[in-house]
Amino acid sequence: MDRHKPINSEPGILKLSHAQVFLYLLLAVVTILFLFLTNAYVFRMNFEDWQPLAVPSLLWVNTCSLVVASMGMGWAARAAKANNKNNLKIGLFVGGLFALFFLTGQFLAWQQLIAYGYFLADNPANTFFYLITALHGLHISGGIVAWIVITKKSWKTDDAKSRSAQVSLLATYWHYLLLIWVMMFGLFLST
Amino acid sequence: MAFVIITTIIVIGSVLFNFITPWWFTPLASNWGSLDQTIVITLWVTGVAFVLISGFILYCVVKFRYREGHKAKYEPENPKLELWLTVVTTIGVIVMLAPGLIAWQDYIDLPEDALEVEGVGQQWTWSYRFPGDDGIYGNTNGRLISSKNTFGIDPLDAYGQDDILVRDNKVHLPINTPVVFQLRSKDVLHDFYIPQFRAKMDLVPGQHTNLWFIPTVLGTFEVACAEFCGTGHWAMRGEITVDEMADFQTWLSQHPTFVETMNESSEGRGRQIVQSLGCVACHSDDGTTRIGPTWRGSFGTQRTLVNGETMNIDEAYIKKSIMNPSIQIAAGFASIMPAYNLSEDELDAIVEYMKNLSVE
Amino acid sequence: MEQNAAYEGQQIYHPKGWWGHYVFSQDHKIIALQYTCVALAIGLTGMFLSLMMRMQLGFPGLFDSIDAGSYYQDVTMHGMIMIIYLLTALFLGGFGNYLIPLMLGSRDMAFPYVNMLSFWVYFLSVIILVASFFVPSGPTGAGWTLYPPQSILEGTPGGDGAGILLMLVSLAVFIVAFTMGGLNYITTVLQSRARGMKMMRMPLIIWCIFLATFLGLLAFPALFVGAIMLTFDRVLETSFFMPEIFKGGEVLDYGGGSPVLFQHLFWFFGHPEVYIIALPAFGIISELISCHARKNIFGYNMMVWALIAIAGISFIVWAHHMYVAGMNPYLGFFFATTTLIIAIPTAIKVYNWVLTLWHANIKMTVPMLYCLAFLITFLIGGLTGLFLGNVSVDVPLSDTYFVVGHFHMVMAVSPVLALFGGLYHWFPSVTGRMLDDRLGTIHFWITFIGTYLIYFPMHYIGFLGVPRRYYSNQQYDFIPDSVADLNQFITICALIVGASQFILLYNFVNSAIRGKKAPKNPWGACTLEWQTLESPPGHGNWGDQLPVVYRWPYDYGLPGATADFVPQNVPDEQIT
Repeated sequence: MDRHKPINSEPGILKLSHAQVFLYLLLAVVTILFLFLTNAYVFRMNFEDWQPLAVPSLLWVNTCSLVVASMGMGWAARAAKANNKNNLKIGLFVGGLFALFFLTGQFLAWQQLIAYGYFLADNPANTFFYLITALHGLHISGGIVAWIVITKKSWKTDDAKSRSAQVSLLATYWHYLLLIWVMMFGLFLST
Repeated sequence: MAFVIITTIIVIGSVLFNFITPWWFTPLASNWGSLDQTIVITLWVTGVAFVLISGFILYCVVKFRYREGHKAKYEPENPKLELWLTVVTTIGVIVMLAPGLIAWQDYIDLPEDALEVEGVGQQWTWSYRFPGDDGIYGNTNGRLISSKNTFGIDPLDAYGQDDILVRDNKVHLPINTPVVFQLRSKDVLHDFYIPQFRAKMDLVPGQHTNLWFIPTVLGTFEVACAEFCGTGHWAMRGEITVDEMADFQTWLSQHPTFVETMNESSEGRGRQIVQSLGCVACHSDDGTTRIGPTWRGSFGTQRTLVNGETMNIDEAYIKKSIMNPSIQIAAGFASIMPAYNLSEDELDAIVEYMKNLSVE
Repeated sequence: MEQNAAYEGQQIYHPKGWWGHYVFSQDHKIIALQYTCVALAIGLTGMFLSLMMRMQLGFPGLFDSIDAGSYYQDVTMHGMIMIIYLLTALFLGGFGNYLIPLMLGSRDMAFPYVNMLSFWVYFLSVIILVASFFVPSGPTGAGWTLYPPQSILEGTPGGDGAGILLMLVSLAVFIVAFTMGGLNYITTVLQSRARGMKMMRMPLIIWCIFLATFLGLLAFPALFVGAIMLTFDRVLETSFFMPEIFKGGEVLDYGGGSPVLFQHLFWFFGHPEVYIIALPAFGIISELISCHARKNIFGYNMMVWALIAIAGISFIVWAHHMYVAGMNPYLGFFFATTTLIIAIPTAIKVYNWVLTLWHANIKMTVPMLYCLAFLITFLIGGLTGLFLGNVSVDVPLSDTYFVVGHFHMVMAVSPVLALFGGLYHWFPSVTGRMLDDRLGTIHFWITFIGTYLIYFPMHYIGFLGVPRRYYSNQQYDFIPDSVADLNQFITICALIVGASQFILLYNFVNSAIRGKKAPKNPWGACTLEWQTLESPPGHGNWGDQLPVVYRWPYDYGLPGATADFVPQNVPDEQIT
C-alpha cells in the first residue's frame, strides 16, 4: 500500500503510486528533449553539406554494456518483489557495474574520435554526436546517483520486498535510458 | 458608480480614438491595399465585439449589483446558448480569416514578369544589386566578400559580370512595375520594411527570401529594419525612390557593373570600404554628429577620450579605432562600435580617405 | 488503529529548527511565500528596467548613460525577467504551490522535499541571471527572444561576453527548477485529492494551473535544447544556428547553420509559455468572479473543455511568430488557421465569465474590480491578437508597436491585474489579516487607467508603422513629431503606474503586520482552502481529519439554502 495515500482520499486518476506518476512524467519530459534533438538532427541532415560521422565500433560494446546493466536492474527488481535479498544484491551489483562500463565506454569513444581528428566544431554531424551523447550521459549519471542511493539502502536490508517499489522505479529508469540510447544510436547509424 | 462611469468613458473613448487618432496607416504607395482592407474588416469585427461585450459587462454591474438578502440566480450552464455563441464566434473568425488568407496567397505568389532586384542587408546599412542585361544574378559566396567585392560575387560566374551594383543604401525603382526583391544578409537577421508599401520580409543569412510589390506613387520612401540586429538596428535606414521608368533607367545607368567595380582604380577606395562595411550608418562625412563622431575635419586634430586623455588623430589613432575601438572612445559617445579586422591595405586606404576629408 | 492516527495516513515532513521551518521548509505554504517574494523582488527590478527604457523613449538625451547598448540591455532583461522569472514563477510556484494542496484537501504536495529543492534551484537561476549585471560586458541586450546570429556576436551587448552565457545558463537552471516543481503539481492533482474531490469538482484555477504545468513540461525542453545548442555555438564555435557570416571586415569561422531553426525551437516553447502565464490568470478570474459576484461560474464543463482545447491547440500555433521570418510561406496558411481557431475556446471563456455576472449579486470589492478590469483589458489584448494571427495582416504590423501593445495588454496588463486581484483575495488566507481597502482601490485605479493609457495608443503608432526595439525614432521622416509627444505622455503614465506599485507594497507589508484581523472565510468562498480548521492554515492543513467533498466549488446562491454559499465540504444534510 502506498504510504503516501491517506485512507480518506479520492483514488488517483492513474492506478499508480505517486512515485510512479512522477517518474513517468519525468520520462515524458526527457522524451520530448530527445525528440527535439532528433528533430534538429534530421533538419540539419537534409542540408547539402552534411557529412555523416563514422560511428566508432566501441559504441556497439557500450550498447551491450547498457543492455546488461538494464537487465541487471530488471533482475534486481524482480528479486525484490520475490523477497530474494541475495538476488537483489547481485542484480544491483551487475546493473551498477555495467552502467559504469557504459559511461566509461562513452568517454573512451569520445577520446577515440578526438584521436582520429573528429573534433566537436568541425562539422554538424560531429557536434550533434557529442551533444546527444553528452546529454544522454548526463541522464545516465543521474541514474547512477539514483542507483547509489537505492543500493545503499537495499544492501543491508533483510526485507527485500520493502525495497521493491524503489528498485522497480530504478529499473524502469534504466530500461528507459537503454531505449533512448538505442534510438539515438540508431539515428547515428542510419545517416 | 465609479467603475461603470470610468469604464464607460474608457470604452467610448477607445472607440472614438479610432476616428480621431492622428496615427494611422501611412499613405499607401503600393498595390497592397488588400492588407489595409483586411485590417479595417478586422477592426470592425473586433470593435463591435469589444463594444458589445464591454457594454454587457457594464450593464450587469449596474443591474445586478449586490443587494443584501438577495441571491444570485443558480444557473450552472446553458448548452444551447454556449453552442450559439460558439457558432457566432466561428463565423466572426471566418469573416476575418478568409480575406487574410486570400491576401496571403497573393503576397507569396511572386509575379513572373517583374523587375528583379536584390536587397542586401548588413550591420547597419543596405546595398542593392540588379541582375543586369542577362536577367540572372551571379552566384555569390560569403567567403568571397571583401572590401573590393562587397557583394561576394563569384568572379568566375559569367552571369555575374553584368550585375549592376548599388553600393549605397538608396535605390530607385520604376513606378507601376512589379518588383520582386531577392533578399539576403551578410551577417545577422534583418528585415526589409517599407511602411508605405505595407511590405516586409526578414533577411536571413545563409538563405534567400523574397518580397514583391508594385510601387504606385512617385516619391522617396524610407526603409526601416524590422528585425533586431544589434546596437545599430534603429539606425539602419534605407531609401527607395520611385521614378518614372525613363528616370529610373537613367539612374540605373549611372551605377557600375560588377566587372567595372573589380577594375576600378584604388582612388576613392577608402570611401568604398567605409560604404561597404556600413561605417556610414554611424559616422557622417559632412560634419553632422551621429551615433559616432563625424570624420570631416577630424584628421590631425586633438580629441578627448572618455577617460580624460587627449590624443592626436593620426594614422595610428585611426587604425586603432577600427581594430579595437572600445579602448579609445571619444568623450560624449558610447562604447558600442564593434571591432573590424581589416587588412593593412584597407586600413591605409581609409586613412587616405580621412586625410582627404580634412584637407579643405 | 492506523485510521485513527493523528495525521490520517499521509506522511508529512515535520520541520526541525529555524532553518527547517523557514528556510529549507518543505511546507508548500512556506515555499509558495518564498517563490512569491523572490518573484516580486525580481519583478520590481524588471519594472525599474522598463522605466529606464521609457526614459529614453520619452525624454531622449535626458540621461546620457542610456546609450543604445544599455537601452537594449534594459529591453532584454526587462522582457526575460517579467515573462519567466516573475510571471511563470509567481503563477505556478507561488499560487500553484499555495493553492493546489489546500484546494484539493491534501496535506501537502506529493513530494515536499523535491518541492523545496525546486524553489532553491529557482533562486539559484535568479542569482545567475542577476550576476549578468555585474560582468564586464553587462547583461545580454539581444532581445528576450535571443535570436542568433546576433545574440552571440559582437555588436549586440553581452554577445561576445559573459552576458549571453549567464542568461542561457540561468534559463537552463530555471527549466530544471520548473520541471521539479511541475512534476510535483501534476502528481498531486492527479493522485492526491480528498475523498469526493473528483477531477470535475476541482476549482477551475486548479485545472488552469494543472494544464499550464503540462504545457510547461512539454514546451520548456524545446527552449532547453535551443539554449544548449546556442551555448555550444557561442562557446565551442559550433554552427547549429550560425550560417556563413561576414562581419567586422572578415568571414567568421561559422557555416551551415540555420537561424530559423532556433526560431522554431524558441517559439515552440514561446507560444505555450504565454498560455502558461495566461491560464493561471484565467483561473484566478474564474475563482474571484464567482465568489465576489456570489454566483456559480457559468458553464463549468465548457470552461474545462475550453481550457483543454486551448492547451492542446497552443502547441500548433507557434509559427505565427515567424510569418515573415523566411520559413516556407505555405506554412503561413496552416498557422494562421490554427491561431484564429484558438480564439474560439478563448472567446467561450470570456463569454462564460461575463455570463457569470448575469443575474448575479455583484459585490464591488477590490478583487471584483480587478476581475472587471481584467475582462476589459483582456478583450483588447485578445482581440488585437486576431490582427497579428491573420498572416497577411501581420505583414505590415509585425515588429511594430502594434505587437508591443498587444503582448503587453494580454500578458502584462490583464494577467497582472488578475495577479493583484488574487493577492488581494488570498491575502487573508495567508496572513489572517485583510489588505487595506482604500489603498487597494487607489492602487487599482492608477494601475488600470494608467496601463490602459500606456498600451492602447501603441496600437495606433503600430498602424503607422513605428518599429519596435528602436532606441530612437529621430532618423525617420515617416514618423511624425507627435509620436515623440505620445512617447513622452506614455513615459509619464509609466512613471506614475510604477510609483503606485509601492502603494501595493506598502499595503502588503503594513497589513501583514497590523492589518484588520480577518474572519475565517472573509469572502464567503466555497473552495476548500477557506474551510481549514484555523486560518491561516496550520501545518498539515487539516488537523486530524482530511475533508470530504460533497459538491462542486461553485454552490453560490444555491436554491434551498439560507446562506448565499455552500462550501464544498458541507454535505446536503447539513445545509442550513
